Amino acid sequence: MTLLLELSGIAKSYAGAAALADLSLAVGAGEYISILGPSGSGKSTMLRVIAGFETPDAGDVRLEGRSILAMPAHERGIGFVFQGFALFPHMSVADNVGFGLRNRSRSPVTDEAEIRRRVAEALELLGLTGLGARAVSQVSGGQKQRVALARTLVADPKIVLLDEPLGALDANLRERMMIELKRIQSQLGGTFLHVTGNEQEALAMGGRVAVLDQGRIAQISPPQTLYNQPGSVRVARFLNCYNIFQGTVGDGAFRFTDAALPLPGAAAAGAAAYCIRADKVTVAEGEEPAGPGEAGIAGRFIAGEYSGARVTYLFDVAGSRPVEVEYHLSHRRPRSFEAGRRYALRWPAADALVFPG
Amino acid sequence: MQGQPLLRTALMAFTALFIVFLYGPLAVLATLSFQSGPEGGPQFPIIEWSTYWYQHLFGWAPPSRVAPLQLGNALVRSLSLAFMTMVAATVLGTLSAQAFRSRFRGSGVVFYLIVLGMMVPGVLVGLGVALVANSLGIPRTWWGTSFVTHVVYTFPFAFLVMLAIFNRFDRSIEEASWSLGVSPIRTFRKITFPLIFPGVLSAMLFAFTLSYDEFPRTLFTAGGDQTLPLTIYGTFSVEIHPNIFAFGVLTTLFSFALLAVYGILMALSVRRAKRVAIQEELR
Amino acid sequence: MTIEAEMTMTKAAPARTGRGRTGWRVAALLAAPGALWMTAFLVVPIAMMVYVSFWTQKTFTIEPVLTLQNWASFFGTSTYLSALWTTVRIWLIVLATTLALGYPVALYIGLFVRNKTIQTILLVVCVVPFWTSFLIRILAWRPMLGTEGAVNILLMKLGVIAEPIGGLLFTELSVVIGMTQIYVVFMVGPIAFMLSRIEPSLIEAARDLGAGTGRIFRTVILPLSLPGVIVGAIFVSVMVLGEFATAAALSGRKVNMLGNIIVTQVGSLKWAFAAVVGVILTVVMGVVIAGLLRLVDLRKEL
Repeated sequence: MTLLLELSGIAKSYAGAAALADLSLAVGAGEYISILGPSGSGKSTMLRVIAGFETPDAGDVRLEGRSILAMPAHERGIGFVFQGFALFPHMSVADNVGFGLRNRSRSPVTDEAEIRRRVAEALELLGLTGLGARAVSQVSGGQKQRVALARTLVADPKIVLLDEPLGALDANLRERMMIELKRIQSQLGGTFLHVTGNEQEALAMGGRVAVLDQGRIAQISPPQTLYNQPGSVRVARFLNCYNIFQGTVGDGAFRFTDAALPLPGAAAAGAAAYCIRADKVTVAEGEEPAGPGEAGIAGRFIAGEYSGARVTYLFDVAGSRPVEVEYHLSHRRPRSFEAGRRYALRWPAADALVFPG
Repeated sequence: MQGQPLLRTALMAFTALFIVFLYGPLAVLATLSFQSGPEGGPQFPIIEWSTYWYQHLFGWAPPSRVAPLQLGNALVRSLSLAFMTMVAATVLGTLSAQAFRSRFRGSGVVFYLIVLGMMVPGVLVGLGVALVANSLGIPRTWWGTSFVTHVVYTFPFAFLVMLAIFNRFDRSIEEASWSLGVSPIRTFRKITFPLIFPGVLSAMLFAFTLSYDEFPRTLFTAGGDQTLPLTIYGTFSVEIHPNIFAFGVLTTLFSFALLAVYGILMALSVRRAKRVAIQEELR
Repeated sequence: MTIEAEMTMTKAAPARTGRGRTGWRVAALLAAPGALWMTAFLVVPIAMMVYVSFWTQKTFTIEPVLTLQNWASFFGTSTYLSALWTTVRIWLIVLATTLALGYPVALYIGLFVRNKTIQTILLVVCVVPFWTSFLIRILAWRPMLGTEGAVNILLMKLGVIAEPIGGLLFTELSVVIGMTQIYVVFMVGPIAFMLSRIEPSLIEAARDLGAGTGRIFRTVILPLSLPGVIVGAIFVSVMVLGEFATAAALSGRKVNMLGNIIVTQVGSLKWAFAAVVGVILTVVMGVVIAGLLRLVDLRKEL
């Protein structure tokens, strides 16, 4: 895979507060990379630096091996899909899509027939056929998103940046658009950089997922790796599916409040965080002791949350935030628990992750 | 505050009286313009209702001891001056407001420098410009010294209008245009300007109105040829006749006509822009 | 599940303000023509005026020989000092009257009229009189305030008075009335604007918490409308302090404001002396505006 885009040591501050600090990233041609980070983590800033809307305070941006740092935004050939769609309100859908072709400074298309053809192609690719003559205010939110995408794609950009493209859509639409985006990317063979604050979206979309934290990339790996083995407590937190206990490692076990949990492997003594994914936990009755290779604690049942394909049960555990237990209903049956009763929470000790600090 | 009927009625009555107070002179003006002439003066009672003074204004009345007002040339000068001022003030106002979309060093100073123009009384600016013109040997003319002074006065207003428009303008559509490969200049032409045009129209109207009726600044800077307000001021110390009131009525009607034109232009451009790009708060 | 979700350690980046380093040069370039224009045609003339105030005044000409003679004449003559006092006095009175008259109207339009269309119509109604030339509108007060004027006729017809009131015209009162009528709209506008921006839910909330109308006004409405009051005060002050036409038309030369002095002095080609009066007026203006600006941050309000 050829290297298409490279960020090295990007730093950017606003009014003294650093949005990006020593950010480095390498993107290969044809990749779909999702960037995950909570609001304020600098992910939009990163995209804007790549696109040329912002100039970094330090670092370099290289496209196809050449630095584009000094190049103005309109010469970079980098497509940008905005969260708010940023459609031109005084033009029709077709004019929006064709705007770049007609007005760009490098080789604008002068043949009207060619423009119409390419616009029609783009509209068809995104399922917008027949909407060309409509005013921008006359199409729905999901359609606006697709118009924005069509407009960017028709210009044949070297890389497409998507700034929380699904943020303004409702959940249903979001799911469908996620599938659409993957289909289009593989069909066109383009390189997509997709920024989002939603961990499920990030895991679903990217061939590689980069977690942005405190202005730098904390971890970048394929989604399964990230999901199964987050590289730090902070990344585990972003994934939103890990139970995290704060305590200390000593005497061969992890201790917090009254509990002592077996360590999955060698760990340095001292303050540590113990993480176990919610869907690895099983609930057993009462005071059953933990089996060999198992770790367990006691918890009082609080409530259960049913969300279609899975149920999440909340348990009150001393010395910790409520522990979540996820039952995926495709391979486990739902259970009914009594509120306030003590249950035994069990999981394979080897599946836990312990991080120092 | 809706649930305060007593207060509301009181304030409504007050506002009604207020409007009567505002329009009182206009009503008197309009009434007296129909005074009979040439003996009738600009006071009550109305001797007889007639359109004499309107005719006198246009020079259609038979000659009498009341000399006709020399308004024709002054009117042309005022209109031309207002038009020139409108163009200059709007151009400067738009350019400056565009500049203020980014932070640049000294922007605070420039901001107050511009706003200063509407805060210094006309007498002072007029006096200062006259002094400078005198010492540099530049003759004072309505199209020269008055013009620059009018722009000093109206440019800040145009600037503030455009500033307010730009504040509400969603910059991401400009960035979208750049990302498509369209140069910033072309983006301004095809995207930004069509969408801020209603604001530009407002600024133009503002500047034209302010310049047309401008008086203190013009008094010292116009030189020999007078603008309309100067001509009217000239009648203050001389005897006043209802023809000046007739003129007032006509100019008010003219202003209404202008507003109608402005309203139509606005409606057309707003419809074309569909919706001005206003910054939306998502999340 | 979002229990651990938003544990962000990073601060939210402040709103993006500009295009970064490359943008500011272009911005400075765009701002340059305006700044230059104001410097050349506003700052320089005012500076010139200050300079000339120290020139020597000959009968019909001035010479660039520096002297304090003109200044001494000003402060030594009671006519001029009383003109200064008159200017300040009228300014304060008109400021008070426009505020007293304008605030309730702004209160009604901005707060009690919730329909945006009616609001706009009312404001347009207030602005329409401006399309008649300012000077003609001042003139119109003469037939209104005279002993045979409209006001007196009306009051006598209504039986309120038996004899016509003589002191309505050609007095300081007529000047105040004229100025108030012309400038009150500049108070109504900004205040109504600020009041219309107050969320009705704010007032409801205050009421729910048990506040009476008086208290709501004092603690919620008044403070929120204050920027509008200050802006209105600035507009009115600027115009009244520089006024001379209203005084000339309605007071029969009895009321002399600093503006009138400047005009008459220029008329007799006493430029240096006019400059002195101009500088004094500038200082008064500067003090007033600086004081008012201290109470509101102009840039923020936009």
